[in-house]
Formats: sequence, structure tokens, C-alpha cells
Amino acid sequence: MTDIFLILVGAILVNNFVLTQFLGLCPFMGVSGKVETAIGMSAATLFVLTLASACSYLVFHYLLVPLGLEYLRTISFIVVIAAVVSITEMVMHKTSPLLYRVLGIFLPLITSNCAVLGVALLNINQAHSFAQSIYYGFGAATGFSLVLILFSAMREKLSQCDIPEPFQGAAIAMITAGLMSLAFMGFSGMV
Amino acid sequence: MATSFFSVFPALVNPVIALLGMGLGIGALLAFVSKTFRLESDPVVEKINELLPQTQCGQCGYPGCKPYAEAIASGDSINKCPPGGEKTILNLADLLNLKVLPLDESYGHEETKKVAFIREAECIGCAKCIPACPVDAILGAPKFMHTVIESECTGCDLCIEPCPVDCIDLIEVSQGSLSSSQAMNDEEYLACINCGLCIDECPVDILPHELYWACRGGELEQAESLKLMHCIECGKCDKICPSHIPLVDFYQSSKLELKLQQQERIKAENAKQRFENHQIRMAKLDAKEEYRRNKRAELAKQDRQQTSSESIKAALERVKARKK
Repeated sequence: MTDIFLILVGAILVNNFVLTQFLGLCPFMGVSGKVETAIGMSAATLFVLTLASACSYLVFHYLLVPLGLEYLRTISFIVVIAAVVSITEMVMHKTSPLLYRVLGIFLPLITSNCAVLGVALLNINQAHSFAQSIYYGFGAATGFSLVLILFSAMREKLSQCDIPEPFQGAAIAMITAGLMSLAFMGFSGMV
Repeated sequence: MATSFFSVFPALVNPVIALLGMGLGIGALLAFVSKTFRLESDPVVEKINELLPQTQCGQCGYPGCKPYAEAIASGDSINKCPPGGEKTILNLADLLNLKVLPLDESYGHEETKKVAFIREAECIGCAKCIPACPVDAILGAPKFMHTVIESECTGCDLCIEPCPVDCIDLIEVSQGSLSSSQAMNDEEYLACINCGLCIDECPVDILPHELYWACRGGELEQAESLKLMHCIECGKCDKICPSHIPLVDFYQSSKLELKLQQQERIKAENAKQRFENHQIRMAKLDAKEEYRRNKRAELAKQDRQQTSSESIKAALERVKARKK
């Protein structure tokens, strides 16, 4: 139980993928304009990350290791992730077409979200078991969602504020992200 | 060839087979999913259609708002709707996460809202304007005077052109004005410092300062979810506010705006329904006319055949008679 808790807290707060490890910054800046979109993106990433870490574990341990092909892990993980993303995309197009449209290019871009590949590779490096891999993937996605939604809420508030002209737009977003990253540094050393 | 290649590089056999197998398996899975989740119709069209003003004026180049919504869904630009103007473009951009564009002036200019009015003394009762009206807002019959149902008219100006005596005018309608009060514009008050004094004061448990931000930013939906309509405008928050913000003035103007928006939405919904009914009616009329035309053509054909054979016979008889 403590094991699971440590993995979750570690992935969500201490080693937050966006703010501490700086993975997955593209959707973090790209889809954080509105809270609604951010929640949709978070849900999609949560699903993809958890599933992809489980699938990549299975592929690694039951296909690549027996054949002695550990060196192919990056290629095969990318293939697995792309497949999971495609399935998510199709299902979402059917069930929530508006969200599909709003997420637009960022949905297929989950494939190249380095956080997803990062989790799959880190799972192997840290020799996680199957259950641990899933928890780690879930924790990483939760951390990503947490940060993305918080950030988008802040950006929504900021869009109503009188920001000095030189800081408008991307500049204030970067400053906000930097401040958030500073805040998350406070968690380091906790686990 | 292949066997010799792999016998030269035996280390390639396993990886090639493994990746090939994985690719095939995943491909099969994807094919299955894409079959089970195939799309029949795009529900986004409905959402887009709801944001269009439903004037059915055709200024965008499409024969109504729904066809334009379909065109937008398949990638047309969102700035071709003059009656909707800036507001519609903003809403569409918001819905579809697109860039806001200025209205394309080649499709028309944004004008104040108008309705058609028939100068009844001059109407000759030709009934030409009736099928032209996309929402069936013109009442009348051939050789009788027509009139416009003002509450249903969308001001699309499609009835102007078919009228042979030019007896239809477009007149401006007075709308509820969105005047912001003097106090709101005076800027004599200071910025909200989120002190929270107004929260304790409010008798209906809303968050006056949050509501103020929403109203000031024009975020009506958010204001509504913050219970804007629950405000009884008692003015207690105004009095307690250390920054002297005229809070109630902001709430009042937002309430009015919200109400106007709701009215407009109801009217648009109505116009949409009437446009669909009009389409169905016109299709029926066309079918009827087509049927009648075909029948008449058939009769005429029969008639012609009969008369021609009869006239030939008569001519032959005449020739015979002359020979005798």
C-alpha cells in the first residue's frame, strides 16, 4: 500500500513530469487557454498514458525480452503509443465530437508527447512491476492533468486582467509556468 | 533471395518478425475499432447551427444557415455571416478553437436589425414574395393584400427583390439598449481587492466579488453559474464595498444582456424551425408541380398522336375523294 502511495505521490508531485522533469511542455502551453479544453486534454492523456504504460510493459516483457530485442524498445513503444492514441481519437470522435474538434491537432500530438514515451521508458529503467507501471503511468498523467488544469485556470483569470503590454500573451504564460515550477520544487526531497 | 539475405544476417530474423507481427496485430485492432466507431453524421453541425443567427438570408452564399453550418464543419471560414457579425464570429471561434477573423465585407456589412414591412396600399397581391420568404413570415393569398408577421421576420431582405411594385421596405427595429450606467463608466471607484466584505453582506448567498469579475469581463455564462439571476439588487454589497464599486449596476446590465440573449436564442430557434418547415413545404409544392407538369405533358403527347393520326386519315380521304 505504501509502495503504491509513494509511486503516486512521487509521480504527481515530487517528480511532476511537466514542472520538474519538463516533459510534455507542448500541450502544456498549447491547450491551456481554456479550462474546458484542458480538462478534455487531461482526460485523453490520462487514458492514453495509463493504457500505454500497461501495453508497453507487456510488449517489453513478453515480446522484446524473450527475443532479446531490448534495443528495439523505443521504436516498439512509439508504435504502441500511436496505436493507443489512434484508438482514443476514433472513440472520442464518435462519443464527443466537439471535444475532438476543440483538441484538434493536440490529440494526435499526444503520440509525440514526450511524457508518454518518458513514462514507458522510465518504467523499464526503474524495473517496475506490471502493477507499479500502471500506477506510475496513472500518477504521471494525474500530475500532468493537475498542472494543466491549474495552469489553464490561471490563464483564464489572467485573460481578464490588465496585464502590462510587454507581458501580454505568451510572456505572462511563461512567467506563470516558471512560478508554478518554482512552487513544485518545494516538493523535492519529500519522497 | 530472401533466405540468402537472412542467412547472411541471422540477427535480423527475430526483430523483423517481431515488429511485423506487432504491426499486423495493431493494424487489425485499429481496423476493428474504426469499423465499430464509424461516424454517421457530424453532430458538430448542430452546434454550429445553433450559434448562427438563423436569419436564413443566404448572404454567405449558402441557401440558409444550416447549409452554412455544414460548410463550416467541413472547413469553410467563419467570417461570412453579416447578420451575425462580430458576435457570431467570436462565438464560432470559441466553439471551434479557431482564430478570430474580421467579417468578410464582400458578403455584406453588419447592420442594425431590421424587419420587412409591406406598404399595404400598394400591394397588388401577386404572391411572389410568399415563396421567397425563408421562414414563411409573409401572410397572404393571390389577389389579396399581404402582410408581414413582424415577430417572425428575420430581416433577410429576400422578399425585396421579387416584389414587382417595390412595396416592401426594411425598417429598423428598436432593440432594448444596453446602456451602461453613468457610475460604471465614471471610473471613480477603485479596483476590487477581493476583501470579501460583500460576501458576508449578501442576503442571498452569492459571491458578489466573483460575480463582479464575471460581469465586468462579459462572461455571461459564468455569471449565470454564479447565480446572477438570484441577485435581488438590494444594494448591500454596494454600500459595504471599500472600493466604492457600483456592483449592482454591473449586475443589472449583465442581467439585461442575458435576457436579450435568451430572447434572441428563442427567436433563432423559432426561425430555424420555420425555415425547416418552409423547406419541406417548398419541396412538397415542387413535387406537386412536377407531377402536374408530367401529367399535362403526357396528355398533350397523347392528344398530339391522336390528332396527327386523325388528320392524316382525313387528308388521305380527301386525296381519295379528289381522285374519284
